[in-house]
Amino acid sequence: MNKTRLYWFLQIFGWLGFALINLFFLSLERAISPVQVGAFFSVAAFYLLSTHSLRYIVKKYGWFNLGFVQLLPNTLLAVAALSVLNTIAQILINLIFDTLNPEDDFRLVVISVSIFVSFLFYSLWVMLYFLFHFLDNYNQSLKYQAKINEIQLNHLKSQLNPHFIFNALNSVRALVDEDPSKAKLAITQLSNILRFSLMMDKKRTIEFENEINTVKDYLNLETIRFEERLQVKYDIEPAAFDYKIPPMMLQTIVENAIKHGISNRVKGGMIEIKCKEGITDDLIIQVKNSGQLKSQALSKKKEREGHGINNTVQRLKLIYGDRASFKIYNSDNEFVVTEIKIPKQNLTLG
Amino acid sequence: MRALVIDDERLARKELINLLSQYDQVEIVGEANNVDDAKEKIEALSPDVVFLDIQMPEKTGFDLLEELDNVPHVVFTTAYDEYALKAFQVNALDYLLKPIEPKRLNEAIERLFKKLNEAPERYVEGDAFSSKKLTLDDQVFVKDGDRCWFVKLSNVRLFESDGNYIKVYFDNYKPMIHKSLNALDERLDEKSFFRASRKHIINLSWVEAIEPWFNGGLVVTLKGGDRIEVSRRQAARFKDMMSL
Repeated sequence: MNKTRLYWFLQIFGWLGFALINLFFLSLERAISPVQVGAFFSVAAFYLLSTHSLRYIVKKYGWFNLGFVQLLPNTLLAVAALSVLNTIAQILINLIFDTLNPEDDFRLVVISVSIFVSFLFYSLWVMLYFLFHFLDNYNQSLKYQAKINEIQLNHLKSQLNPHFIFNALNSVRALVDEDPSKAKLAITQLSNILRFSLMMDKKRTIEFENEINTVKDYLNLETIRFEERLQVKYDIEPAAFDYKIPPMMLQTIVENAIKHGISNRVKGGMIEIKCKEGITDDLIIQVKNSGQLKSQALSKKKEREGHGINNTVQRLKLIYGDRASFKIYNSDNEFVVTEIKIPKQNLTLG
Repeated sequence: MRALVIDDERLARKELINLLSQYDQVEIVGEANNVDDAKEKIEALSPDVVFLDIQMPEKTGFDLLEELDNVPHVVFTTAYDEYALKAFQVNALDYLLKPIEPKRLNEAIERLFKKLNEAPERYVEGDAFSSKKLTLDDQVFVKDGDRCWFVKLSNVRLFESDGNYIKVYFDNYKPMIHKSLNALDERLDEKSFFRASRKHIINLSWVEAIEPWFNGGLVVTLKGGDRIEVSRRQAARFKDMMSL
């Protein structure tokens, strides 16, 4: 049901209900005449028309955008005005149906009670109306937030750095003449990585083996590019292959290590990947690269770097809650270590 | 056309040199694998053009250009760097994407020949590059945030010192370069540029009017309206020069 229809549905049945309930209580006391039925339906009709005009004013003057401090006097004033109008309308209706009793109905008490009662009805209407809008808005913003979260999650998923792809292709182009068999191998490795990054993108976690093979292909390609400037070491326990890890996460860490440990250094450096099982059924992955973390304040590219680390931290949190951890620190004066700890089962299983 | 290839990756240099070897008119005078190396080689070999990678260890290609007094023609190369690409496009710089498409390279080379033919031969005499003064035909590279320019010195009307920086006035811009005015003064050709005071060097071909000023000084009005005071000490020299 769309919102306008819902509004009319509630308006019509609400005020119809108002008339019927009034008549019902009246009928408990004494028999009701057609004149009374007509009068009450007229009053209900006036309520419907007057609240509808109030809605028109609320919409036209953008009362939804007002702050509470401004909204409250506005509505109070409007409701009071409507109550007075309503009381006048009731008198007119009584006059039309010839049920007016001037001696009784024009007493101050009767008029005051009439104004007060219609004030209550209008207030109720206004409260329901704004409550409905508030809930509706809240729902909308929840949906909006959910969508934002989804977009963010997709964004967090690491992607291959295009700079790497084109540099690798450029190296391969040169290799075709220099060392054709190496060039062929490089093409295979590059296609492995591309396929992996396309296929694994949608998954939450994957086998450790798949990830480490991709990382190896990646580092082989970077070795072609950086030649003697890049030294790679692996130290991987067989137990690591029993674990599942988020796709492209180790890959991203290694890419960062290359960027800061190798490509930003004239002499290049070393990258070591260590994977071992911890004592509490978790996998500890360490990536060590040459270089030193600069204090954040000194680093001009702070934001871009911070982004990569934040992504990894957020992804770990989304998948494993508090059971995974991420650390990055200087080791000695020559190396930076990035360490992640991943539990054996992910959150949905555990 | 004498070219220097600057890239930190051997294979990338090899690939480009290989592509350039098809042009008889292009002579590769050297290769450099980082900014400091490149700076030395540019000063020693004075190439007509450098093919310059942006992403290099420690210093970028832009850093190199900012360090040079006299900038040769530049063709940038990059694999994929959004920031650099934006800079190239915003500033209409010549660039090639790696792996390099031979057709694009051909276009770049043609543009280079055109530019070289327009400009007079820059290094006619066998003078050592560093001893040669910068003339109106030479260009400097200026970067200010996202914007950068290759500015011909003939378009620069005024250099103004500002702390450790120099403001370079040309067109409607006055970006800063990190140099001292004294060092720049030594490199500029004294026939074209004049040290008006401690703060200013003016381009003589931009002088529009000269008026006497207090204490025997002068005020020079440049085309475009900048008014520069010539100190008393320099005023006599200035009069001599302008009367010639």
